[in-house]
Amino acid sequence: MKSIFGLIILLFFTACEMVEYSPNQVFDKDTPRDLNAKHINQLLQNPADDTIRFVLAGDSQRAYKNASDLVNVVNNIKGVDFVLLAGDISDFGLLNEMEWVDEIFSRLNVPYIGVIGNHDMVANGEQIYKRMYGPLDFSFTYHGVKFVCHNTNSREVNFSGNVPDMEWLKQEFSPSAGVNAYVAVAHVPPFSIDFDKSLEAEYINVINSAPNTLAALYAHNHKEDVRYPNEQSVPYLVTQAIVRRQFLLLEIVSGKLKYESIPY
Amino acid sequence: MKAFLIKYISLFVCLIGFRATVEAQERSVLIPDYALVQHAGSIGYLSLGAGYELFDDARGSLELTYGHVPEVKGGPLNIVSAKFAYRPVELRVNNTITAYPANPGIFLSYHLDKQFGLGFDREQYGRGYYGWPTALRGHLSLSNEVAIKTGEKLKSVTIYSEFNVNDLYLVSLFYKNNKQWLSPFDIIKLGFGVKVGF
Repeated sequence: MKSIFGLIILLFFTACEMVEYSPNQVFDKDTPRDLNAKHINQLLQNPADDTIRFVLAGDSQRAYKNASDLVNVVNNIKGVDFVLLAGDISDFGLLNEMEWVDEIFSRLNVPYIGVIGNHDMVANGEQIYKRMYGPLDFSFTYHGVKFVCHNTNSREVNFSGNVPDMEWLKQEFSPSAGVNAYVAVAHVPPFSIDFDKSLEAEYINVINSAPNTLAALYAHNHKEDVRYPNEQSVPYLVTQAIVRRQFLLLEIVSGKLKYESIPY
Repeated sequence: MKAFLIKYISLFVCLIGFRATVEAQERSVLIPDYALVQHAGSIGYLSLGAGYELFDDARGSLELTYGHVPEVKGGPLNIVSAKFAYRPVELRVNNTITAYPANPGIFLSYHLDKQFGLGFDREQYGRGYYGWPTALRGHLSLSNEVAIKTGEKLKSVTIYSEFNVNDLYLVSLFYKNNKQWLSPFDIIKLGFGVKVGF
């Protein structure tokens, strides 16, 4: 009798988990909120040391098993401080997709930061991202390095001239106390056809003219790439996609940035 | 939330009233055989609909519904759906109660809100940038029903639950090596409802 009662309770809770109002609903009763703020807060509790080691991954889209394998690989790398998931967290801009990816990335031993990609802006995706992760443009300073995470998905707004938000970026890349280096993080790289051409020169100029920019980091292309726009010393790095089982491991030691690509 | 419920209940009552009025005059094939209210099931927090019994044995059904997800439940979303199902197995419990344990079906749901569309703007995206309509989902369903005969005017009351999967969840399950992480139970969604036959 007891076991039948237990089974009924189990079935009831399984059924509750299955209840869906629409695949496009913005949240359900279990949807996490403000993940980026929480994870940044968690990251900033780390005691200062001389090395910042982090992962740049992107385009998880609907490659759940590949994303889950990435988590296992990263958990076995020593000294990683955090993971940047540089956009296309989802494939179809659906709530369940972002929840599944969060479920996978929550298994990391370190916090992860989710940046918005073009696929995350499809359908109700942008609203879902905002509620789950937070603002589309945000920054945090970790051990003196300011990571400026922003929306570069210009095509999603039909190249309106507002994405990326140049005024916000100028502010973020201007000198401020406690910041001795900058890293730009976004989904669509400036040399992509999905980036607003009318803003490209100004965008690169803002990033490269900051007091000390170490790198600009992207995903989107599903192909690893490194370029030095304007023949300046700032590398614009594009990570291979999680879909294709590869990511970048980056390290900032004594003000210098090194990177290595990790296939898995 | 309360106002929203009242709106729905009154619509439902109106629909039954309308059916009863027409009944008095003449039976037409266009007049639905039953009205339904459904909670969840991927077509709204609450949906309201009309259904037709199909085929000579009335084992098939065609339903048209309008569903709404209020803002407090993850909306606002407005969804219209067309559902077809067939009841291959009938279990007569007694003279008044009949169960239909497993009824396969298909349905389409269409999101009316402006952020969804059947295609993506050609000027903005070019050809084939994204390959799926955000507004329109195709679903496979499996429902189970218990029908209770009630009387002359209100012929029957049926309670049901309906499981469904949509096209995008299915392609996610069958993508690459995903079956090692995603389970069919992750993509099966559930709804409940009541049908009133007249």
